[in-house]
Amino acid sequence: MTDMAQAVRLARVDLTLVFRNRTALVNAVLLPLLIAGALASTDITGGTAGIPAAQYLMTGMMAFILIFATFMNLAGFYAGRREDLVLKRLLGGPASKAAILGGSALGATVVYLGQVVILCVLMAVVMDTGAPADVPLLLLGALLGAAFFSLLAMAVSGLSSTGEMAQIATLPVVLLLVGGSPVMLPQEILPETLRTPIEFLPMTPIVEIMRTAYLGLDYIGTSHEPLGLLERWSAALPSLGLLVAWIAVAALLARTFFRWDPRRG
Amino acid sequence: MTTDVTERALAVDVAISATELRQRYGDFEAVKGVSLAVRKGELFALLGTNGAGKTTTMEVLEGYRPATSGTVEVLGMDPYRKRRALSPRVGVMLQENGFLPDLTVAETVGLWRDLHAEPRSLDESLEMAGLADKAGVRIRQLSGGQKRRLDLVLSVIGRPEVLFLDEPTTGMDPEARRATWDLIRDLVKEGTTVLLTTHYLEEAEQLASRLAIMHKGEIQVEGTLEEVIARHGDRISFRLPAEIPLDDLPRIEGHSADIALAGGTPVVTYTITGGDQATRAHTALVPLLAWAGERGVALERLAVRTASLEDVFHSVVKETA
Repeated sequence: MTDMAQAVRLARVDLTLVFRNRTALVNAVLLPLLIAGALASTDITGGTAGIPAAQYLMTGMMAFILIFATFMNLAGFYAGRREDLVLKRLLGGPASKAAILGGSALGATVVYLGQVVILCVLMAVVMDTGAPADVPLLLLGALLGAAFFSLLAMAVSGLSSTGEMAQIATLPVVLLLVGGSPVMLPQEILPETLRTPIEFLPMTPIVEIMRTAYLGLDYIGTSHEPLGLLERWSAALPSLGLLVAWIAVAALLARTFFRWDPRRG
Repeated sequence: MTTDVTERALAVDVAISATELRQRYGDFEAVKGVSLAVRKGELFALLGTNGAGKTTTMEVLEGYRPATSGTVEVLGMDPYRKRRALSPRVGVMLQENGFLPDLTVAETVGLWRDLHAEPRSLDESLEMAGLADKAGVRIRQLSGGQKRRLDLVLSVIGRPEVLFLDEPTTGMDPEARRATWDLIRDLVKEGTTVLLTTHYLEEAEQLASRLAIMHKGEIQVEGTLEEVIARHGDRISFRLPAEIPLDDLPRIEGHSADIALAGGTPVVTYTITGGDQATRAHTALVPLLAWAGERGVALERLAVRTASLEDVFHSVVKETA
């Protein structure tokens, strides 16, 4: 059996278990939808960065909700299963390390993509924004974002002694990554000294790619002008490059801190 | 010349081997130079107290961690570096189960079947686990013994050539333990090579073709059950008669007496090793009784104990304490 087939099989198990575990179901599946739904239904008047505020928020949410299924919940999964010796038991079988870790990441990514689809439907139908302008770019942004946060979840799990501790340990990272990113508000409102470092944080390119892909307007630069297909992709290239660099950093952190065995040393 | 050929023939037949294996955690050396060889098709039992280094030895052989020093081989390969190549041919059952408690029995078996290329069927697996009527039950609702048995079945679902069992019957009632022994015997009959650790001496007596007793990170005793017991010897003991001076005690079959105080009374013990295991206690008693007859003394509390694995085990633990 190939790594990929094993990972898909293990992802199926994870999806089954998410729906059997009430905490995981609420935290990973329902909570992000509730938050996004609440935002979508509030009567925000006025505009942000040239578009209705609700549209700006919802496209930001598509990136923001990565932190639920593919980061907080996944970090808890990895740490909890390490402590329960599930990871060690699986490693004693025929599945490869990549398949075991990738399986859970894949399951989480499927949950996340499902949530993105729901948000797209909300935007297109309820908010009357229309369909995403560039589905492939939107999907690429979502997948790279999921890869980054899954790897970061592996790293955080290794630094925590229980599943619950791992979820708590993700919070400062979430605050740092989301706090300054253009999820809710454009960077233009920030003072110059903060703007530059924030542009290099990993959440920024994810939000920019997904927002630009959905709306077809330039939210990578500051023009917010409509972009054609080629313009979109060439505008997105630096952000994609930055995101890939962050994925490499997260992979290095995962490699350094992830543990298979509860035993120290 | 002959030895050379024999050794080479043995090397071909070895499925699991460790040579001068050492394993260190920080300042603590858990395994201090263990060498062992398990031949293809045999069941080798590793006995020892808690903390003797059994599980650490197993984990190196299972490929979970590289050896600090020394070499280990499973089916001729380094288990840590060749994990991918070995994993379809090796089954591992850890000391603790590591199940996903919210899956059902059938789902758990299904997952393990799907991860293997040519697994045993679902029905056969459930039958082996004794859980045919529990297929739809969640793992968390099984008893400790049922979980152990299921874990054993998961480890052999891919019909491994080599099987590592770390305390496979812990938490089982006597009935379940016997059923599990039968299952393990069947696996050995199928040709599986098994390395097993256990606390239960009877388990080793029942199943093992060869065994080793580990204590404080080292193998203290190794061989077939008969060899280990034969080396340990039979014990003949009695109270030292008051009128007999110590140096008047005879040597028996070349063995001299050991004196120990038991409740204020000196007790004499002869340890009879070597010779024919079946008759050596009798052979030793004949001159002893003749000597007592000549001196006109009765040997009070005279006892003859043929060695058991338990005696060997306790003396290993005591002597290396």
